[in-house]
Order: sequence, then structure tokens, then C-alpha cells
Amino acid sequence: MWGVYLEQLLQSLPFFLQGLWMTIAVSGLSLMAGTAVGFLWGILRSSRRRVAKALIGAWVDVIRGTPFLVQIFVLFFILPEFGVHLEAFPAAVLALSNLAACFICEIVSAGIESVPHGQREAAVASGLNGYQQLRHVILPQALRVMLPPLVGQYVLLIKDSSVVSAIGVVDVTRVGWLTVQRIPQGILVFGLVGLLYFAICYPLIQLSNALEKRLGRSARR
Amino acid sequence: MIEFRDVHKWFGDLHVLKGINLHVAPGEVLVVCGPSGSGKSTLIRTINRLETIQKGELIVDGMKVHDPRTPMTKLRAEIGFVFQQFNLYPHMTALENVTLAPIKVRRIPRREAEEQGKEVLAKVGLADKLYQYPAQLSGGQQQRVAIARGLCMRPKIMLFDEPTSALDPEMINEVLEVMRALAHEGMTMIVVTHEMGFAREVAHRVAFMDYGELIEIAPPEEFFARPRSERTRHFLSKILTH
Repeated sequence: MWGVYLEQLLQSLPFFLQGLWMTIAVSGLSLMAGTAVGFLWGILRSSRRRVAKALIGAWVDVIRGTPFLVQIFVLFFILPEFGVHLEAFPAAVLALSNLAACFICEIVSAGIESVPHGQREAAVASGLNGYQQLRHVILPQALRVMLPPLVGQYVLLIKDSSVVSAIGVVDVTRVGWLTVQRIPQGILVFGLVGLLYFAICYPLIQLSNALEKRLGRSARR
Repeated sequence: MIEFRDVHKWFGDLHVLKGINLHVAPGEVLVVCGPSGSGKSTLIRTINRLETIQKGELIVDGMKVHDPRTPMTKLRAEIGFVFQQFNLYPHMTALENVTLAPIKVRRIPRREAEEQGKEVLAKVGLADKLYQYPAQLSGGQQQRVAIARGLCMRPKIMLFDEPTSALDPEMINEVLEVMRALAHEGMTMIVVTHEMGFAREVAHRVAFMDYGELIEIAPPEEFFARPRSERTRHFLSKILTH
């Protein structure tokens, strides 16, 4: 009897691959946007700009302190009340980018603060301007601390992207929901869904571990 | 070259510089000594505005350092600063450490900066360490790279903040040797240190600081033979007995 289901499942494989592609698109776009914004916020947050610091800090706290599902509902169902209409896909990308930016902001500012104060003083004393201090002295050292948790965060965010299925984005999780209504074998269907997520995340987990080992070693050089 | 006029600084409630008046001429070597917490590090850190002052005037190379509108990056390029803890960039080789600012701030072409960097590193005795990272060097070698990093900017002034205090005793001399050579070339230098042998031999004047005040300033022969203030005598008796 499993054979029949397995065959049906195999027939819907193209559907799953479409869903996988959507998951990759939503998380890929969000990770790129989130990384760019997260770096900017992280740099501002560890600077001396007080207003920017306070605003970013408050926003990061709000986002970290509320469920992603609720954030995405607010964006998709409540904003239209105020005349802002977003399609499911841009809403999903926007919400996930923002979530990514908040977590990455924390990683970036922690990385920058891990660089000893004397490094910035040396850079200041030699006449480098603010941008040059950051680019040539602070960020290269902060990056070593940041990279392993950053890649780890990517894994978490890719998994969190499954929440976008709740507003009708047809990602792998949504494909699972739709398929299980035709093939009532949850363990098979969601086993496949899980496997597809794992296929994307596992290489990243390996990368994070490798980075941790490698950068840990060079830090002791 | 450097002129302090009634300079005051507070850290919160703590009055760390209490009306400093001091003039350092071009080519002069001034050694500043004093107990820890006396404000001597703060004093030299104000010169390139690593610390801001709250009252008084501070003119360096014709620039008003006390004026918050004075852009500092240009002046900082003229002042080499050597830290107690070296503060070399750990992700760069010795040569990269000394060429970063010449390339980025002075806009010297990379090849030219590297030629000059090799020359200066050779001058401080590190011709064979160009491509080593700081962690592969001893403390004394690291501090010499740090001095070379300052010199590669062709500065008008070199400031040293306890340059030998973090070094093992056997490495102190190799660093002092480099500083001695520099003094003989006519570099304007302010050196915060407890190396009284160096002060006696190299300094044009020695200053004693205590509780944020410049207590006494005199040529070394006079400073060590006939200190005028009781506090100076007391300090000298403590550090010269061993």
C-alpha cells in the first residue's frame, strides 16, 4: 500500500521541486537583503550615533520579542487596513528580510565590539578616517568572529521561511500541506518536505563548522 | 611645535589634567614620568585628540587641537603614536601594518609605500620579518614594528606611551635603542616612561607629573641632581633605588 503512495508522491515530485524553488527564492532574496541591512544596522549600532542606536535597538527588540508568524500576519493582513497592499511573495520577502536583518545586526555589532579598543585607537592615531578604520582594521577582525554564527543564522532563517506558507506562498511546506490532502500519508509527505529542507541546510551547517575550525585556528596564529 | 596653555581635562568628576602649561620645541625630546594615575598618559593622548580637553588651548603644528572644529585626520597623519600594548593589526603582516596608513591616508602608490616600509623595518632591525604576523613576533619585535608603523608616515612628532612597560626585561633595550637613534636624528618626541637611564641619556628635558599637575620640568642633569620639589625627590627615591 505504501508502494502506491510512493508512486503518487513520485508523480508530484515536480510540484515539490517548484515549492523548493520558491523556498530558495524567498530565503535567498531575504538573506541577501537581510545581510546588507543587518550589516548597516550592526555598524550603526556599534557607532556613536545615539539616535540611530536607540531606534535600531528598539526595533530589533520588538522583532526578536514577537513571533515571526505574527509579524507576517501584521504585514499581510493588517497593513491593508491602512491602505498598504502587498502580494504574498513580496510580503514574505519583506518580513523575512527584516527578521534576518535584526538577527544579523546583533551578530555584526557583537563582532565589532569583540575587536579590542586599542585596534580602533591605533587606526585613529594613524590618521585613517572612519570608513577606513572600519574597512581595513575593524571589519576584517570582526568578520572572523562573525562568520560561523552568521552562517548558522542563515540555516535558522531558511527554516523559518516555512512560516510564509501561512499567507499562501507556495513553498515546500505549503506543497506538503496541499499534497497531504491527496496522499494521506503524513509521514511520507512531510518526510520528503523535511528532507528537502535538510538538503539545503546541511551543507551550510557543514560550512559553519568548517569556518569555526578554520578561523579558530587562524586566530591562534 | 606643541603648546599647552592652561589645559584642563576631567573624566566625569575626576580632574585629571589641572592647568597644564608646556611648550615643546621642534627637535626636542621630552620624557614625562610620574606615578600611575598622574595623568601622564592622558597628557600625550590629548596631543592627537585621542582624548579631548575641556578647557585651555592646545596648539600642535599650528593647529588648534582644542577647537572641536579642527579636522584631526590630517594632523594625526603628522603624529606617530606608539602604545604600551603595541596595538598592531593582527590580521596583517609587519609590512602590511606599516604600509596601510601611507597607502590610505598619504595616498602613496602601493609599490612605493612597500619600498619605504621595507626600508624603515630594516632600520628598526626587522628586515627579515616583513611577512610575519604580529603573533609570530616577540614583544620587542612587535613594538619595533609599531614604531616603524609611525615612522612610515614621515611624522613631525612621535609620541610614546610607556613603550617598554609591557615588555619582558630582556627586550626593553632593543626598543630603547631604536628610540635613541630616532632622537639623534632630531625627531620631536614626547616619551612617557620610567626608564630613567633613557631619560638621563637622551632627553633634553624631563618632566614630573603628579595628580594631574606638571610639578617640575628641567634638563636631566638638573632634574636628577637637584630636584626642586619634595614630591619629585620622593618619586625619584622610589624608582631609582633598584
